[in-house]
Amino acid sequence: MNWDLIIFYYLAIVMIFSSVFAIFSKHPIYTVLLVLVMIVHQAFLLLTLGAEFLTAVQIIVYAGAVLVLFLFVVYLINLRKETKKNIFIRKVSLIAIVFLLFGALLIKNLLILISLKPSFRAYLPFNIEEKSNVWWIANYLFKNYLLQFEIIGVILLVAILGAVFLIRKVKTAE
Amino acid sequence: MDKLIFTVIAAVILLVIALLHVAYLTYAERKIIARMQQRLGPNRVGPRGLLQPIADMLKLLTKEDIVPYGVDKPIFYIAPLISLVCAGTGVALIPLWEKFVLSNINVGLLFILALSSLSAYGVILSGWASNSRYAFLGGLRASAQVISYEIAMSLALLSVVLMAGSLNLIDIVKAQISSPYKIYLIPQIIAFFVFIISAIAECNRVPFDLPEAETELVAGYFVEYSAMRFSIFYLAEYFGMVVMSALAVTCFLGGWVGPFEVPYIPFFWFLIKLYFILFVYIWVRATLPRYRYDQLMGLGWKVLIPIGIVNLFLTAFLKLIV
Repeated sequence: MNWDLIIFYYLAIVMIFSSVFAIFSKHPIYTVLLVLVMIVHQAFLLLTLGAEFLTAVQIIVYAGAVLVLFLFVVYLINLRKETKKNIFIRKVSLIAIVFLLFGALLIKNLLILISLKPSFRAYLPFNIEEKSNVWWIANYLFKNYLLQFEIIGVILLVAILGAVFLIRKVKTAE
Repeated sequence: MDKLIFTVIAAVILLVIALLHVAYLTYAERKIIARMQQRLGPNRVGPRGLLQPIADMLKLLTKEDIVPYGVDKPIFYIAPLISLVCAGTGVALIPLWEKFVLSNINVGLLFILALSSLSAYGVILSGWASNSRYAFLGGLRASAQVISYEIAMSLALLSVVLMAGSLNLIDIVKAQISSPYKIYLIPQIIAFFVFIISAIAECNRVPFDLPEAETELVAGYFVEYSAMRFSIFYLAEYFGMVVMSALAVTCFLGGWVGPFEVPYIPFFWFLIKLYFILFVYIWVRATLPRYRYDQLMGLGWKVLIPIGIVNLFLTAFLKLIV
């Protein structure tokens, strides 16, 4: 048993259990905290692969920004009623369909992972250490996928403008 | 295995040194502020009051740990620890010397930013879990403030990254040494000021200590905490100061390099610069009154962030043409 395996199993088990508990926890704050635990462990899983940049970005974006906003929202709304409900849905057929869909997705992803060609494996973070993570990501984003990157930027800008438009004060003519 | 043991020993030494610095930072703060206000400051415990931090620590350790009625216990217990870990871990990433950095990772700067963004959780959660109006308001203020000023801080640091062409803190120091001015303080003076102001706001220090404003919120987010847990919050605040100052030294003041080599003490110049920045923190605290909340947010969003963006664009432009 080497250290890598122990660390991997620890991270994987904590991630699975924290996400399961996050779904079943009725208390919204605990849900957010469990998702936080999951995200931090996921970041460290990326670190064990050598993807330092992604680790930092994962923590800054998801843990530092998105979840803090979730916490804000949970603070500002009143969730007394929801915490007293027993279960979300009672229809067994619906639950079965969702589980089947996710199971199929999981199996499909596992198959893709197994069938990865060696050439693709050459680009896993461990194998590109001559240049830093940042260099590779920048190289791909700004050379191969520049157009897509710009389009995503524009979409995000539109979303921000939409949010600002929704919350602005409308001056009524009197 | 040898490497692991060596790292653990180095980490313990670093932690002890950092804790000593934090303890004596509180002493230095009280002494310097006393001097500025024409008082004597602590002078009873030990010669010139030098043992005061140890006496304070013992007092806080032996006090009763009160958990108020109606708090959310697990979160109430864990919140101070989140604050301390997020503030303290940054020490491991700072290069004290070319050959002494605990974990030399390629994106060290981003990791420090990530840790400082996580430290908001300690504040928000303690404010919520305390089940008290003062603590809750303090927590809300703190989270808004930390998130806003983080953007300005990141923008200021990004211009340094652009100049150096690396996110590795050791590479940043080396790039500074080989640049024409030796330190980035001169070409990046705007970024330096933006960074220092937002670092003060990140650490919730005067004049931006809105989350713990005594006159409005009693003590803000940690009003319900006592004894050991209170002192952990205190430790976290001072740890945050030390890490932010060390980051300023590394990114703007040239790290461990000085005008001449000091034999046997390779950290000499790093520590001198660190103490100077810490002194500036204390100096600001003794001099400036507290901001109003809307002024604080206005300063962050309408002044510091635009200045940071303009500075970033200027840096990128100059880098492109030079």
